[in-house]
Amino acid sequence: MFSKLIYRNAKRSRKENLIYFTTLVTAIASFYIILSLGRQDVIIFLKEFESDSIDKLLALMPIVYLFALFLLFFLILFANQYQLNRRSKEFGLYLMLGMRKERLVLQLLAEGLITSILALIGGILVGGFLAEIISLTVSKLVGQGIIGHQISLSVGAIFFTIIGFLFIQFIALVILGRRLFNQEVHQLLNDQMDKKQDMGHVKSNIFHILAGSILLGAAYWIVLYRFMDFGGLLLFVALGLGSLGTILFMRGFGKLLGLLASLSERKSTKGLHTFTLRQFQENVANRSTSVAVTSILITLSIILITNGASTIMSFESVSTRSSSIYDFTVNGDNQKVEQFLTSEKMAPYVEDLNLLEIGRMKYQDEGAEDDLPVSLVDWSKLREQLIMALPSNYKEQVLSGEMQGYTISSENPEALNLFGALEIDATKPYLIPESSYNGLLETIGEKPLNLHSDEIALYFNPDFMPKDNLESMPVLDNILEKAAKEGQSLMSINDQAIYIHPSIPMRGLVADRSVEITSAFIVPDHMFEQLLNTENYRSYWNFRIPQKIQEQQGLMKPMMEARDLLKSSGFKFESYLQNFGRKLFYVVAGSYTILYMGFLFLIIACTVLALQFLTQMRQTRQRYLTLSMLGAKRNQMKKSMHRQVLLTFLLPISLACVSGAVGIKAMISFVIIHIEDKALLYPIAFTVACIVIVILVIYGVAVARSAEHEIDKLRWKPNID
Amino acid sequence: MKISDKLLRVQEVYKTYGEEQSETVALKGITFDVFPGEFLGIMGPSGSGKTTLLNCIATIIKPTSGRVFLNGKNISAFDSKDLAEYRGSRIGYLFQDFALLDNLTGQENILLPLSIHGMDFAKARAKLDELADFLEIADILNKFPSQMSGGQKQRVAAARCLISEPDIVLADEPTGALDTRSARILMNKLEGINRSSGRTILMVSHDPNATSFCSRILFIQDGVIFHELRRKHDESREKFYERILQLMAQLGGGSANVL
Repeated sequence: MFSKLIYRNAKRSRKENLIYFTTLVTAIASFYIILSLGRQDVIIFLKEFESDSIDKLLALMPIVYLFALFLLFFLILFANQYQLNRRSKEFGLYLMLGMRKERLVLQLLAEGLITSILALIGGILVGGFLAEIISLTVSKLVGQGIIGHQISLSVGAIFFTIIGFLFIQFIALVILGRRLFNQEVHQLLNDQMDKKQDMGHVKSNIFHILAGSILLGAAYWIVLYRFMDFGGLLLFVALGLGSLGTILFMRGFGKLLGLLASLSERKSTKGLHTFTLRQFQENVANRSTSVAVTSILITLSIILITNGASTIMSFESVSTRSSSIYDFTVNGDNQKVEQFLTSEKMAPYVEDLNLLEIGRMKYQDEGAEDDLPVSLVDWSKLREQLIMALPSNYKEQVLSGEMQGYTISSENPEALNLFGALEIDATKPYLIPESSYNGLLETIGEKPLNLHSDEIALYFNPDFMPKDNLESMPVLDNILEKAAKEGQSLMSINDQAIYIHPSIPMRGLVADRSVEITSAFIVPDHMFEQLLNTENYRSYWNFRIPQKIQEQQGLMKPMMEARDLLKSSGFKFESYLQNFGRKLFYVVAGSYTILYMGFLFLIIACTVLALQFLTQMRQTRQRYLTLSMLGAKRNQMKKSMHRQVLLTFLLPISLACVSGAVGIKAMISFVIIHIEDKALLYPIAFTVACIVIVILVIYGVAVARSAEHEIDKLRWKPNID
Repeated sequence: MKISDKLLRVQEVYKTYGEEQSETVALKGITFDVFPGEFLGIMGPSGSGKTTLLNCIATIIKPTSGRVFLNGKNISAFDSKDLAEYRGSRIGYLFQDFALLDNLTGQENILLPLSIHGMDFAKARAKLDELADFLEIADILNKFPSQMSGGQKQRVAAARCLISEPDIVLADEPTGALDTRSARILMNKLEGINRSSGRTILMVSHDPNATSFCSRILFIQDGVIFHELRRKHDESREKFYERILQLMAQLGGGSANVL
C-alpha cells in the first residue's frame, strides 16, 4: 500500500510538473557532458600530441564538475522546494490522517529516489546524445576531417553523474524534509501567500535605486577603464560592486513598481493592467535578491558565451594552413637522416624533401673578448628609409628616442613591424643559404631566387609577423625599388656594399616550431659559409606527404603511418599535427569550459525565473478564481499572465544586457576577445544572440504554457470562462 | 404582476449531485421571486441547500432543471461569454472570506470589476467617493488588505460589489468571518444601501442577527422552501429578530425535526 502510494505520487509529480522533471534531466545531462569530455573525439585526438596539456585540462574537469555540482545543487533545491510547496496541502492531509512525520519524510525520499532514477535515465540519454552531437560537430568544425569519430559513451562519466546527482538530490530533499518536519499541520494546509505587502517608503526605494545605479556605474567604469589595474584584482571589485548594485537596484525597482501601479490611474481601468503590475511587483519585490541573482547569472552567461564563441572564431584564422607547408621536419645527422628518408620503406611518404640550413652570422673579430662584439652588418641606410616610411606618430617616437621596445603584431603598419624586427635581429642576423630557400620556393611552385654574389633577400617569419599577403611586402618593395633606381646600396656586410632582393614569398621554415626566428637574411651559398658562426649551425630535413597519397587516403592516415615509422627510427622529428593540435588545444580548452559555464548559468537563471513565476502563480491561484467571479474571462486572465511572464523575464534580462554589453566592450578593448575577421563578427554575434534568445523564449513559452494549464484547471467553481 | 416586474424569478430549480446510487438531490424544485428593492434573506442549517441555491442564482453552478430569470432573461441558459458579462457587472458578489486580492490596494480592489468590464474610470470616480464615504473606508483606500481589519475588508468588498451598480447583490454568509460589532456595522451599511438606493440584495445566512436586517426571509431545509417570514411595515429590527428566534425555536432548535 505504502509503496503503491510512493510510486503513484512520483508518477504524478512527473506528469504534473514537467518543469521540475525537465530541470532534473537538464542537471543530469550537464553533469554527463562535462564528465565525458575525455571521451570527445577532439580530446582523444589531442591526447596523442599534447598529452601534458590535455592531462592538465582533464585534471581541471573535476573542479568544473564540483562547481557545476554546487550551482546545480541550488537549482535542484529550488525545484524540489517548488514541488513540495505545490503539495503542501496533501502533506498536511497525510499528517491529519495520522501519518507520522518521519514516515512522511521517508516517503518523500523514496519518491525522490524513484523520480531521480527516471530522471537519471532520461538525463544520461539526453546528455549522451548531446555529448555525441558536440563531439561530432566539433570534430567536423575544427578538425577539418583530420579527426576520426568514435562513440563517446563513457562509463566513468555515467557513474559520477549518478553519484553526483543522487548526492545533491538527497541533500536537497533532506534539507527540505527537515523544514517540512518543523512545520505545523496548519501551515501545510493553508499554503497561501500571506506575506505582508511591504512596500517600503518611496524615499528608501529611490535610495535603493540610486545606490544601485551608482554602484553599477562604478563597476562599469572600473571594467571599461581600469580593467587591468592591480593585476586584474579590480575586476573582482567590479564584480562585487556590480552584483551589489544589481541587488539594490532590483530591490528598489520592485517596490517602486507599486508606485507606478498607483500612478497610472488612467490606465487602471484598462483590463487587468493594475492586477498585472501588482502581480509582477509582488514577484520582484518579495524576491528581489533572487531576481538580481538571475540577472547577474544572465550577465555572466552573455559574457562567457561571447568569449567562448570568439575563441572558436579565432580558430578559423589560425587553422587555415596558409604559411605552413611542410608536414614533417626531421632533425639529426644530415646524411643519416637523408639516408633514412630516402630508404625504401620511408620514400613513399616523402615528397619535396629539402634540407634547411640555418645559423647566426658571426661578429667582427670573434676573438676579442674585452670589447663589445661589433656587428658585420651596417643597415643604417635601410633603417633611415624605414623610419621615413613610418606613420608620423611612430616616426616622432622613434626619432625622439621614446620608443624603447618593439611589438610585432598584425595591428601594426608593415613598416613598423619591419623596423622592429630588424632592430632586434639585424646586427646578428640568422642566415639561410639560398639553396635551402630555393628548395622551399620550389615546393610551393615559385621560381628560385638566383641571387647575385652581392645580393641578399630578407626573410620574415609569417608565424610571428602575421600579414594578409604572404607573397610580397609593398612598403619594403617601395624602398628597395627606389634605391635600385638610384643605384644605391642600403646595407653593407663586412664593408661590402650589399643589394637587397625585392621581397619574396614567405612560408614557415619547418613543420612546427623547431625554428623560431622572426627574421633572417637569405644569402648566396658562398656567403653563408663565409659569414656563418659555426657554433650555432643547425640543419633540418623537411618533407611533405605526397599529394597523390593525400588525395587517396586523406592527410591523416599517411601522416600517422609516417609518424610511426619516424618514431621507430629514433630521430628527433616534429609534424604539422603538433602545430595543428596545439592551436586546436587552446581553442578547445578555451571555448569548451567557457561555453559550458555560460550555458549552465543561462539555464540556471531561466529555471529559477520559471519556477519562481510558477510558484507565485500556484500560491495566488485563489486570486484568479476571484477574478473569474468578478467576470474576468479566461482570455483576459491568460493575457495578463502572459504579460507577467514577459515582464518577469524581461526585467533581469534588460539589466543583464546592459551589463553584458559593458563587459563585452571591455573585453574587446582589452583584447581578451580578439576578432580578427570583422566580417565574421556580425553573423557570429547574431548567432550567439539568437541561441541565447531561443533558450529564453523556450523557457518563457514553457512557463506560459504551464501557467495557462493552471488557469484552465481553475475548477473550484464550474462554468467559469 | 408581470414577470418583468420581478427582478429575479427562480422557477422549479432542481439540482442533483452524483449519479444513480450515489445521487443526492440538493434542491428539490425551488420556486420564488425577488422584487426590485427587496432585501431577501435565505436561512437554513448546514446541508439545507441554501448555498447551492445561491450558486445556481450566481451562475456558479448550472441547475439540473428549472430556470432562473434575471430581469426576464433566463441566465441559467446563458453561455459562458454572456455569463462573464453578467458577473461583476449585473450581479455583485459578497463572500464570507471577502475574496479581496491581497496584492492590490483597497481602491484597486474596488475598481477591479470596472477594469475587467472595461468601464470608464472617470465616471466611477464620484461613485467611488460616495461609496467610500458611506462605507467609511475613505482612509483605508490606499492600504492593502493585510493592513485592514476584517470589518474593513468586508466593507471594501462591499464597495467592490456595488461599484458597478449591479441589478442584484448576492451575499453568501457575509458576516460569517466577522466579530459581532463588525457584523452589525456591515449589516447596517447593507440595509442603508438597500433603503437609500433601492439596491436589491439576496443574502444567505444562518445567523438570525444578520437576517433580522432583511425585509423577507425564506427558510429552506433539505432542498425545499418550507416557510417564509415578512418584516411588517413598521416592525423594528429587534422585534423581527425575536420573531425569527421564535420561529426557529418552534421549528425545534434549528429545525432538525421539522419534517
